[in-house]
Amino acid sequence: MAFSSIGNDIKDIKASFFKGKLTPYFYILPSGLFLFVVLGFPILYSVFMSFQKYTLETLVSRQTQFIGFKNYFDVLGDPAFATALQHSLVFTIASIFFQFTIGLGLAILFSKAFPLSNMMRGLLLSGWQIPSVVTGTLFLFLFNLDYGLINFVLTSLHIIAEPIGWIVQSDTALPAVIIANVWLGIPFNLILLSAGVMGLPEDVYEAATVDGANGLQKLIYITIPLLKSTILAVLMLGFIYTLRVFDLIWIITKGGPGSATEVLPTFAYRLSFINFNFGRSAAVSVIMLLILLGGAILYLRAITEEERL
Amino acid sequence: MKEAHVESSSGCIMGFVRRIQLVTHWMRMPQAGIALRFAMGFIATAIYLMPLFWMVSTSLKPQSEIFHTPPVLIPSHPQIDSYRSAVGLPTNRPELYITGALYFKNSFIIAASTMLLTLALAIPAAYALSRFNFRGKTIFMLFLLVAQMLPGVLLVIPLFVLFKMFSLYNTHLSVILADTALALPFAIIILRTSFFQIPDALEEAGLIDGATRLQVLWYIILPLIRASLVAVGVFSFLTAWGEFVFALSFLAKPELQPISIGVFQFIGMYKTQWDTMMAFSTLVAIPAVVALLFLQRQFISGLTSGSVK
Repeated sequence: MAFSSIGNDIKDIKASFFKGKLTPYFYILPSGLFLFVVLGFPILYSVFMSFQKYTLETLVSRQTQFIGFKNYFDVLGDPAFATALQHSLVFTIASIFFQFTIGLGLAILFSKAFPLSNMMRGLLLSGWQIPSVVTGTLFLFLFNLDYGLINFVLTSLHIIAEPIGWIVQSDTALPAVIIANVWLGIPFNLILLSAGVMGLPEDVYEAATVDGANGLQKLIYITIPLLKSTILAVLMLGFIYTLRVFDLIWIITKGGPGSATEVLPTFAYRLSFINFNFGRSAAVSVIMLLILLGGAILYLRAITEEERL
Repeated sequence: MKEAHVESSSGCIMGFVRRIQLVTHWMRMPQAGIALRFAMGFIATAIYLMPLFWMVSTSLKPQSEIFHTPPVLIPSHPQIDSYRSAVGLPTNRPELYITGALYFKNSFIIAASTMLLTLALAIPAAYALSRFNFRGKTIFMLFLLVAQMLPGVLLVIPLFVLFKMFSLYNTHLSVILADTALALPFAIIILRTSFFQIPDALEEAGLIDGATRLQVLWYIILPLIRASLVAVGVFSFLTAWGEFVFALSFLAKPELQPISIGVFQFIGMYKTQWDTMMAFSTLVAIPAVVALLFLQRQFISGLTSGSVK
């Protein structure tokens, strides 16, 4: 079976070549080759590195040494990894919860007509493409202990009694980077959820209104069920994009103070570029990749489900 | 008309009650409802824009107003020395950031090259994916979907090792290649959907007239999708414009570094030049905000067609 199918393949390819059926491959080749060399191969190389003793010396001598799963055992036995994993989960779940809730609320609000709604929605998206290095330095300033705007607003409103050293205190640093990340993620959630909300049939809501449903009931019994696949896709994309956040955290806190904001990406980066233990760092990357691939599979399932609907 | 024929009296009453409910609903909703929605939208927009407003406002404040309590919202005597200082022009201040403009130049070189390389690779690939059926097409599409989710940190570790080996470390090319790998999958997905909107008949006409496929693509199709090309080009430009982790890891020489690294020069050991830093951040953010204002529709349809559908 296998042989004959390979034979057929070769025949197919030969026939294709003469009929010009190879043309598509010439168009695909540059991108395919590029993505393999700069994206695919590095990932494979990462997997390779994770099974080697790979340090700064290796980089010079180019002599690698296979050590099996030792890097993985070292990483999994390292309490710093457990801390980073825990922070990653808290950071991701909290960020998504607020981004999504705010995004959905705004999407529903802006699906209804009121004066200047289009202009406001446009302004709410204005920060979408702003580099995270700008967001980072900006929140560094906003969270400043002595003259940060956030401390001023919170003390003026008597929400807090004393100014908080948001990013220099270990118990508030993680909430601080979550707040910055929520701000960063609102446009993304708003856009995707708006597209879903706009597509909802209006007559269902009118019928519900006639039957006396209130706003909350409409949200729970109509909006959320009808948007199920969109919501699933947005949550999975949010999960993937939030779990990988590195720049924002590195810029605001560098994972500190101590390890208060150390997440998997900053942990992997530190292992490579500060401890120069590339092998162990690659092991962390591969673990992260497996988590992300799980998310990607759920996401792809969600969007293919939507296409079927 | 139908209601008039309803014989049962109870049905008649129910219908009447429902109509009353609807009428009162519409009478009540518009005035109070619209005002409420407007207020909610306004507050949400104001809170969201506050950090950006604060950034610009701080950049224009004289030194004395930056640390003022209560904070000064709008500077009483705006100054632009911070902007001069941010790009390395001489001011009356003791600090001199001579490399300011150099960072912008480096970022421009990296971003423009990434844009050109991304377009050159994405156009043929997207064209093939929209026009031909071939073996491996689904796998390639799936690969693109997963590739755009890969975290930069996951790539940076193996790429660092590989670039060191191939002497690409400390070159702009290293960052350009890595940035293109980030932008390319999304660019192909977006361009593919715009190619779908061009009817096949147009192409066949060109082919019958004796043009080659590449000529048809270049002279007929690309001019028709130029709006998408601009959006994809700007998107790739912005991806590289503020990119942080590759620049941080591959460019150790200050004269090669882009704005995302340059912004840290204003953070001093004892004193941070907040106004200059905010001026610099504003200049970094301007292309992103301007692009979004002009290309909002393309960006939104790109995001929704590229990730949810």
